[in-house]
Parts: sequence; structure tokens; C-alpha cells
Amino acid sequence: MRDLKKSLLQDLANCVVEMEEERVQEVASRYIENKFDALEGINEGLAKGMEQAGQLYEEEEYYIPELLMCSDSMYTGLDTLKPHIVRSEESEKYKAVIGVVEGDTHDIGKNLVKIMMETAGFDVIDLGRDIAPRDFVEKAKEIGAQIICLSTLMTTTMVGMEEVIKILKKENIRDQFKVMVGGGPISQNFADKIGADAYTNSAGEAAKVAKELAWEGTQC
Amino acid sequence: MLKDKMTPMERAIALGKGEKVDRLPCNPNVANGVARIYGCKISEFNTSAKAIANAQIASYRRFGYDGVRIFTDLFPWAEAIGAKVNFPEDNTADLQRPAIDDISKISQLQPADPYKDGRLPMHIEAMKYLLDEVGNEVPCAGGVVGPFTNAFFLIGIERMIKLFFKNPQAVHKLCEVSLETCIRYAQAIIDTGLTPTISEPMSSCTVVSPKHFREFGMPYLKRFVEFINSKGKGVTMHICGKTDKIWEDIVSMGVAGFSIDNVVDLKKCKNQIGDRVKILGHVDPASIMYGGSPKDVRRAVVECVQQAWDSPKGYVIMSGCSLPVETPFENIDAMMDTTREIGYPVNIEKLDRMLRD
Repeated sequence: MRDLKKSLLQDLANCVVEMEEERVQEVASRYIENKFDALEGINEGLAKGMEQAGQLYEEEEYYIPELLMCSDSMYTGLDTLKPHIVRSEESEKYKAVIGVVEGDTHDIGKNLVKIMMETAGFDVIDLGRDIAPRDFVEKAKEIGAQIICLSTLMTTTMVGMEEVIKILKKENIRDQFKVMVGGGPISQNFADKIGADAYTNSAGEAAKVAKELAWEGTQC
Repeated sequence: MLKDKMTPMERAIALGKGEKVDRLPCNPNVANGVARIYGCKISEFNTSAKAIANAQIASYRRFGYDGVRIFTDLFPWAEAIGAKVNFPEDNTADLQRPAIDDISKISQLQPADPYKDGRLPMHIEAMKYLLDEVGNEVPCAGGVVGPFTNAFFLIGIERMIKLFFKNPQAVHKLCEVSLETCIRYAQAIIDTGLTPTISEPMSSCTVVSPKHFREFGMPYLKRFVEFINSKGKGVTMHICGKTDKIWEDIVSMGVAGFSIDNVVDLKKCKNQIGDRVKILGHVDPASIMYGGSPKDVRRAVVECVQQAWDSPKGYVIMSGCSLPVETPFENIDAMMDTTREIGYPVNIEKLDRMLRD
């Protein structure tokens, strides 16, 4: 049984890396039929495959077309697994605003983080991509979010992240929100420099940290 | 501002013959920023051939660089085949929707007629004005997006990418329509008396793998370059982003010049292919030309010249890509002035001194 689960997880990852959009659906269905945990299927299967694809991209084995095909396979797998996720039973639901900063339209990373946060029990408002700094702040205020998540894949748009924090400070509401940043060119160093509350380098990690931050936020 | 002793045309001719010149050629690649010098909105380039030409001429006269080109955005050819383009009032045009949204419609696509379709006739007309006004003092070019890149805009970028894997035959069909359009347009450029230059951003290894480039891009680009060469014209090609893995392919197509992005190693490029093509490049258009100071520009120009001035087939100081529209004039001046200060023949000790200043 354990071995079957392990091999299906491995298979899910492989389907993503090898861009097998049709097969990923079969594997995901088999995984669910065997009553394995859907969330784990995403975390340890699909997301692992996407991570490997990202690694191959770094190594210039994969290029943008390959990444796009991999993410298509990942989404197909997600469609099958997502309805079976058992949500964590939280008395209070935390809220988060997420989006890709202005000037950037790459949203694979952001979509993954969103899914992981939803599965961790967050209400996630997805603003989409190419979002102006002001819009993040307005939406966060409107829904009373605890967390603002900013994502980018491009170096040219990193300043937009800093701008969000500046707006929060200017309006004297910086301490009402936790700001998380992530994406290809982002580092802990950069997060520190602009005064973000957290940097995470994977979707799973982002969801975990978001939960800690949201909890922290309600304690003070 | 230092003064030039030769016109760009005199300089180009002398360089071609291996004769003495006053300085290296330099082309900052001002692009639609010419609207800021001429004092018009960029959207005027969508409707007025005169505005396109006059803005180019105004910018050339202001800075004195070594080439002018009629080229406003990446989409006139796709538009002429049926794509829809967005025209912001004062920024560069953008693709709104591709010519077709499904491969079943590929057979509906017809190659564009440069004298009839979309903005192409207006661009040809702008070329005439340009040539009449400054053709005897500066080399004039007509820019064209290459057949591979243009094919993406016919069906949409994501759809095209998926076809690489799912329907290679469809990719070839799109490239064929694209190529025929490019060939007709290049013929019109040549008939008007200018020289074609090719922009091929999608061929970049930053976008597609060398494998896909060789399968889908290269065959059509090669035919395009061969067509231009058969009309007695050499052609320069620009590819953005990383290109080192396809340098040999580019050389084998028979281009006369290759314009490189700032992410590429200029010296390595010179060493590898400088014996077969002229190298143009590669001052960083964003962080240096747009975001830097004149001093940063001066340093960057000197560093480029150090790396490539002795390239066997020639070297042109250029930006790594088209300049952002709002690039400060003083930075473009600094690029030209540094080129003038360096002079020719290049003295490497002087370059060292300039970096220490």
C-alpha cells in the first residue's frame, strides 16, 4: 500500500516533468481511487514535478515552451485532485490577498501558492497578474485580510513590491498586514531590504509561513 | 558635444573599403523614443508616414548616430495578415488578438501585400520620405520582424508553443505564410532603395530551445536571409536575450551582421563568430541607458569597445535592444560623445585611461 502511494506520487511528478497532460489525469484518478490524501498528492506529487521542471529550466535543459506544457499538466492533475482535499478544520478562517505585481504576467508560481494557501484553510482573493501596488492595498483593506502575497518572476518589476509596503506605511496601516514576497528573482535579502515580513521559496513553505504569520497577527 | 568629421554614410563606405575613419559607428537604437525628440505622440506613427519619417530624421539630426530605420513595433505584419493591434495614445503598439484563434483556420491566412494591407503601405511611404531627406548622408533601413516570431502573432504565443508539441505541421504552415509576407515586404524595402534588417525576438534561447529553433525557426529565417542576399543586400539580425547556443546557426544563415543583447558575453561572441559576421552591441538599454547616469553610459561604452573593437568583420557600438521610450537624452548624447572621444583607430591604453577618469 505504502509502495503504491509512493509510486503514484512519483508518477504524478513524472507526468508533470514529462508534460504528459493526458496521463496525469489517469494517474491522479488512480491516486484518488486508492483513497490517498489529495493534498499530499499535490504537495509531494504535482508540485514536486513542477519543482523539477523549474530546476531543468535553470539548467537550460527546459525552456519556456516546456515549462508551459509542464504547468498545463500540473493544472490538469490539480483539477482531479482538488475536489478531494480535506480542508483543515479551523474555527477562524484567515484571509489573504495574492497577485503578481504590475508589469509581470507570469503566474505559475502565484497559482501554486494560492492553491496551497487555500488548502491550508485561507480564504484567498486572487487579484491575478499585472497588478498595481495600490490595488493590493485597497483589496486587503476591503476584505480585512491578514496577509498580502506578492509574486514576480521578473527583475524589472521587483520595485512594485516595495511600493506596496511604502503605501501601507504612508497610510499608517503597515502593522495591520503581513506582507509575503516570492518568485524567481526574489531573495531573503531583498525581502529584508524592502521590509517584507517573509520570503519563501516554495508554495508549500509559503502556505506554512502564511499560517504562522496570520496566527501571530491575531495575537497582538 | 563633440563634432563628427564624417557623415555616417562616408564613414560606412570608408569602413567597407578598409579606409581611415574618424570613429567607430554607433547606433543607440532610439526606436519610438524619437517621438520625444520630434515632439509628437507615438500614436501618430500609426496614421502618418510623415510623422514616422520626420521623427526619425529629427532624432538622427539631434544625436548624429549611424543608422536610421523605419520600424515602430513588432506587429504590422501580423496585423496585415489579420491580427488586431492595440494602439495606446503615447506608447508602443501591442498585440490585442492574433489573426486566428484555432488551427482549423490556418488555411484562411493569406500572406500580406505590403502595398495594400494594414500599416505596411504607410511604412513603405515613410521609407521614401526618409530616403529623400537623409538617404545620402546616413544608411537607411526598413525593419521587419522575422518569419518565426511573426508566426507566433498569427495564432497567439501560447497556442503556438503548444503546437510545437502537438502539431508541428501547423507550425510549419504558419511559418510559411509568415515567410511569404516577410519576403514581399523585404522586396518592397529593397525596391524603395533601403536595406532590410530583421528582428527575431522569439528565436532567443531565453524563449525557445535551440532544438525548437532549429526545427521551426531556422529553416524559414535561412530562406529569408538567402532571399535578401540574392537581391544583393547584406542583412543584420537582432535577437534579444540569450543566443550563444545558436550563434553558429545564425552565422550559417549568411547574415552580414548580428546584433546582440546585453545578457550575452560580447567578448565571447566576438571570439567565436566575429571572424564571419559584424557584431553590434550591447550597452544595457534598461539599467544603463534608461536608468543610469551619463557617467555609467560612458563606462559601459568603453567596456563594450574594449571587448569587441577588434572584431575581424567589424564592430558597431549599439544598445542591447531598442531603448525605452523615456531614455534621457543626455544618456544618448553620452553614448555618442564617448564614441567620438574614443575615436579611431582605437587606442587600448586610452580606453584604460577613460575607465580610470
